[in-house]
Amino acid sequence: MSYLTLSKVSKSFGGHEVIKGVDLRVEQGEFTVFVGPSGCGKSTLLRMIAGLETITGGDVCIDGARVNDVDPSARGIAMVFQSYALYPHMTVAQNMGFALKYAGHSKAEIATRVGMAAQILGLDSLLARLPGQLSGGQRQRVAIGRTIVRDPKVFLFDEPLSNLDAELRVQMRIELARLHKRLGATVIYVTHDQVEAMTLADKIVVLRDGKIEQIGSPLDLYDRPVNMFVAGFLGSPKMNFLPAIVERGGLRLVDFPEVVLPLGVAQDLGARVSVGLRPELFGPSGEIELALTVDLTEYLGDETYVYVRLGGDQILTISTGNDRSVRAGDIFRPRFDPAAAHVFDADGLRLGTRPIASRLP
Amino acid sequence: MKPVSILRHGFVGLVAVWSVFPFVWMAVAATNSSADVIKGRTLPGGYLIENIQAFMTAVDLPRVLWNSAIISGVGTVLTLTVSALAGYGFEMFRSRFRERVFAGLMLMLSIPFAALMIPLFVMMAKAKLINSYSAVILPMVASVFVIFYFRQATKAFPRELRDAAKIDGLSEWQIFAFVYVPVMRSTFAAATIIVFMANWNNYLWPLVVLQTNDKFTLTLAVASVGIGYTPDYGLIMVGAIAATLPTLLIFFLLQRRFVEGMLGAVK
Repeated sequence: MSYLTLSKVSKSFGGHEVIKGVDLRVEQGEFTVFVGPSGCGKSTLLRMIAGLETITGGDVCIDGARVNDVDPSARGIAMVFQSYALYPHMTVAQNMGFALKYAGHSKAEIATRVGMAAQILGLDSLLARLPGQLSGGQRQRVAIGRTIVRDPKVFLFDEPLSNLDAELRVQMRIELARLHKRLGATVIYVTHDQVEAMTLADKIVVLRDGKIEQIGSPLDLYDRPVNMFVAGFLGSPKMNFLPAIVERGGLRLVDFPEVVLPLGVAQDLGARVSVGLRPELFGPSGEIELALTVDLTEYLGDETYVYVRLGGDQILTISTGNDRSVRAGDIFRPRFDPAAAHVFDADGLRLGTRPIASRLP
Repeated sequence: MKPVSILRHGFVGLVAVWSVFPFVWMAVAATNSSADVIKGRTLPGGYLIENIQAFMTAVDLPRVLWNSAIISGVGTVLTLTVSALAGYGFEMFRSRFRERVFAGLMLMLSIPFAALMIPLFVMMAKAKLINSYSAVILPMVASVFVIFYFRQATKAFPRELRDAAKIDGLSEWQIFAFVYVPVMRSTFAAATIIVFMANWNNYLWPLVVLQTNDKFTLTLAVASVGIGYTPDYGLIMVGAIAATLPTLLIFFLLQRRFVEGMLGAVK
């Protein structure tokens, strides 16, 4: 088990900076997930840690030793790729033992280590097959097996589940979590899927445009996002943002002029803010009521989503839990507790709120 | 059968006859006397043994076959090695000058070989290589077309395989030899056929640079029996068959991979 630190790590292609001074510490045995939209630099950052991309500035250290100029194979890392990157002309056993062969291990030792990894992953019966004869899930397991065999200091995963179908993805996700528990390994995992991030991570790193937006535990980020980007990225369906104006008595919603949330924020009167309301926040009780005309409903069985079109293209999403009574065209009056609302300033940064006791008319 | 289907089969049949006829005629003519061939006889005759005997006396077959095999074999191995390395390099390594250099190479495709022949001959003469195998092989080794072919094919090579191999501790040369070559075997098979055939059938350059009978290739030998006022067509056709068979053999051996390679399949 090892720890990893990034200090002021940056990367430029030509004159274009894609990673802009990233500072991060990944603790021993920690499962860290990099999330962000495509093009945010999360895969590039992972490849820089792996040694597959050069580092323009800053230091990458594993166990305190700077590895910027160390070959990928000598960094003590192992990586699972999105496409699995199995050698198509080698059997499963050869694929898993390939790195050991080049590291000069004896045949007997390779066989033992491959055998152990195969047992952990349930690949015993497939060792003589070629990757082309395996299913997607099995290939994924071989790719993971290849990393386990090397007993690396840090495991790197680059969107490993994105080529699998939905059912298999959930299954592999659980397997990955179990495996991490069993091996206690230090893991860095890249995904754009926020569900994967929430379920697997000890620590989530949200990236945007090559910069870290926020680092924290999954629930930390869910409950206390530092800005609208993080708030919108984590949680599914995503958080609703309603524009509001700061008044003496609270925050008046622009789309619902009769509604004032009794929340005080450190902003000038008349300033525009955004009120973030998660879809699951709404319910039959709560201080505030909205009167809405339902545009569309989605019944997922255990849950129902109600969609309401507001001014412009904006759509308000509300989860009614297992209440299936709402129909399109209905007038719907969901309620919520204003204390659970997030408020963001004009730059998208989260604002602290305090309740205002008496409401002005 | 539907009318469209009949038409389609008819067309395909016609094209098949068109392409196979020369081979049939070559085989038939080898069994006839030269006079019968000139008369246009298209049925097999009884002159095969005679024609073979005549060809064997006119040409030292084992010798010219050996020459052709050495030149084509060594030439093919060298061409594939150099061109595959170049194609791999052009696709895998980023450089500001990459596309410009490549465009320069492509431009060379427009220079006809006839224009290069004399300078090449002078070059070979200065290197004292005239009338040697090397003189035939060397100018063909860096083939722009084959480099282009390999670069195009390499675009389909999964880059993550190279990354995985780097993490597994392979050097760039090892990645090329132990990952790239096996994965791209269809491409290599197709290129082998193309390059081998080009070398085997090559006529003009060997004619210029090879000067004694003991260095002649099969193509040159067959051509040499065809000169004179009354060429013996039966004999020539025996030579043509001898010249065609090895390429056919290679093609049938590599046929499946050749088709895959031409379709750009990376499995």
